[in-house]
Amino acid sequence: MRITRRLFTNWQSLLALCIIAGYVIVAISAPWIAPQADPQHPVTMRRLPGVRPTALRVPRPPQPGAILGTTPGGWDIAYALVWGTRPALHFGLITALLTACIGVLVGAFSGYLEGAVGRVLMRVTDAFLTFPAIAGIYLFRYALLSLNTDAPPPFWQVVLQKLQLNPIMLVLIAFSWMPYARLIHANFTTLKHAEYALAAKTTGAPPLLIIFRHLLPNAITPAIVLAARDIGGMVLLEATFTFIGMGAGLPWGALLVTSRDWIIGPGGNPLIYWWVFVPATLVLIVFSIGWNLLGDGLNSALNPRSRERM
Amino acid sequence: MPALLKFLIRRLLAVPATLLIITATLYGILMLAPLEMRAELYMPRGGSNNPNHNPELIRQQIIREHRLNDPYPVQYVRWMGRLLRGDWGWSPGFREDVLTALLARTPATIELTLYAILLLIPVGIISGGLAGAKEHGAVDHTFRAVAFVATAIPPFVLALVLLGIFYAGLQWFPPGRLSISEHYIVTGADFTPYTGLLTLDGLLNDRPDISLSALRHLVLPCITLSMVHWATLGRMTRAMMIEELHKDYVIVARGKGLKERLVIWRHALHNAMIPALNSIALSAASLIMGVFVVEVVFGFPGVSEVIVNSMRGAPDIVAAMGFAVYSVLLVLPVMVILDILQAVFDPRLRDTLAEQ
Repeated sequence: MRITRRLFTNWQSLLALCIIAGYVIVAISAPWIAPQADPQHPVTMRRLPGVRPTALRVPRPPQPGAILGTTPGGWDIAYALVWGTRPALHFGLITALLTACIGVLVGAFSGYLEGAVGRVLMRVTDAFLTFPAIAGIYLFRYALLSLNTDAPPPFWQVVLQKLQLNPIMLVLIAFSWMPYARLIHANFTTLKHAEYALAAKTTGAPPLLIIFRHLLPNAITPAIVLAARDIGGMVLLEATFTFIGMGAGLPWGALLVTSRDWIIGPGGNPLIYWWVFVPATLVLIVFSIGWNLLGDGLNSALNPRSRERM
Repeated sequence: MPALLKFLIRRLLAVPATLLIITATLYGILMLAPLEMRAELYMPRGGSNNPNHNPELIRQQIIREHRLNDPYPVQYVRWMGRLLRGDWGWSPGFREDVLTALLARTPATIELTLYAILLLIPVGIISGGLAGAKEHGAVDHTFRAVAFVATAIPPFVLALVLLGIFYAGLQWFPPGRLSISEHYIVTGADFTPYTGLLTLDGLLNDRPDISLSALRHLVLPCITLSMVHWATLGRMTRAMMIEELHKDYVIVARGKGLKERLVIWRHALHNAMIPALNSIALSAASLIMGVFVVEVVFGFPGVSEVIVNSMRGAPDIVAAMGFAVYSVLLVLPVMVILDILQAVFDPRLRDTLAEQ
């Protein structure tokens, strides 16, 4: 419980927890903040009702009915921001946690196992570090395309659908686990020579027990910190991929991308149509800063000796 | 054998292994695609656009000719052989060999990343070092706040806002690589493209005005590109600096009356830089990946154009595979250089790595 106390006495961690709690509250209470027109078919983005489509080409300023205005095309910004919170949290948490799990496992085994297996795992890690994720996303998308729609989908597509895993998520996970592996690997190579690990080994404990029971709890701190930061980072990355039409369809990124032509305002003054990007950008920035601050707070709470790193 | 040399050889020997793993993964992902889709990778020069040919027939013919029903390892080895021979496939989107398209766009990307790295490494290390030297000082708090925002803002929003203010508004820094008239000069007969890097070629051709203009066009893309990585590097340097300043050797250095400036910049920073360089090595791939946003927003005709175009138009697997392999070839040297730099700075690392 010392860790929780340390986390709650640091004002930065408190701020982080408040920010994240704020997003969670918005996510839970979305149906009351921005009621769905048709609760049977919930949508995360809606157009301004009762206006002709041609009148929607120019973004509309904040007004009753759309308190943060609309993007070009008439999408209600406030509505999409509120309803975008759930998918953002879902996407960030799942992607970051799965990424961390894979990275930690690879790092742990490559760090504990001496010889060829460990070395090959580290080589694979280093190789993946050079891999451009953007090409990975493209290839996966391509593999999902099918010339012949009548043919039954390959088994792996069925598995993806069953797990409700978005291909973008899968690619982000597949190409983001390497820093975790390197962190855990570095910790394991020093920790496995520690006396308690050797003691466990001499009492005949099986390797898996030593890895998960004795070594991992002592090595995992940096991975937890990194995972907390990545939750915000993954959502941000998704927005960037949306920009070139490869996103997973999260509303926050979609809002910004729909408004891209209006960010450069007339006469080079981005503030004339400020509402098309300032609220959405702020929501993204605060989301990311919240998780980053939590990472910092966790770091100093879990790891008081190393003072606050980063 | 000196440890550094041993390390160098080991590091260079690892390069082919890395390439093997990556290309095998790439081809493995492609194997997930249906057979007819994979046939597109082997489209003959000119593609299936010839009206006299039935694309379906051509595909069947490719499947037979290239024996695409063979097991994965066999196909992979054959594909690798084609790559090594320089036959990277004919891109229907660009209507030319994808390798030619990539090579033609390489100097622009190299120039952009080079200047971005030259900007971000000193700025990141100095700002991080300054912030870490006085923890909880005013500089430190400002640094942390700016770094937080820099990592949290979507790069394309930052790029568009910068473009709006500094081009559309103030007209200081235009997009693109050169203005149109200068582009004609550069592609003209009187201008020899020695390196392809316009800032350098301008000087070599005795046209400093071209160099200056190229620099002016590089300002905004470089700032956008280095922003995120500056924050990562700076935060790392700051953290390491704080840790180093509490170590015994710093206390000794202060105790013997060394000036504070010397303690920080000569002693502590030297040690703080090693993990910082490591953090850049980790993000070398995302530096190249970040280029695509910058190249799209600023109309900078670099390598990413190849994949971004194939995302917008009809699916072009030749361009995508070409880009994937090529970008690994671009990232690998950067990582190797950074690894070697680390070893130069850190004798301990050099020794352990050489012994492994």
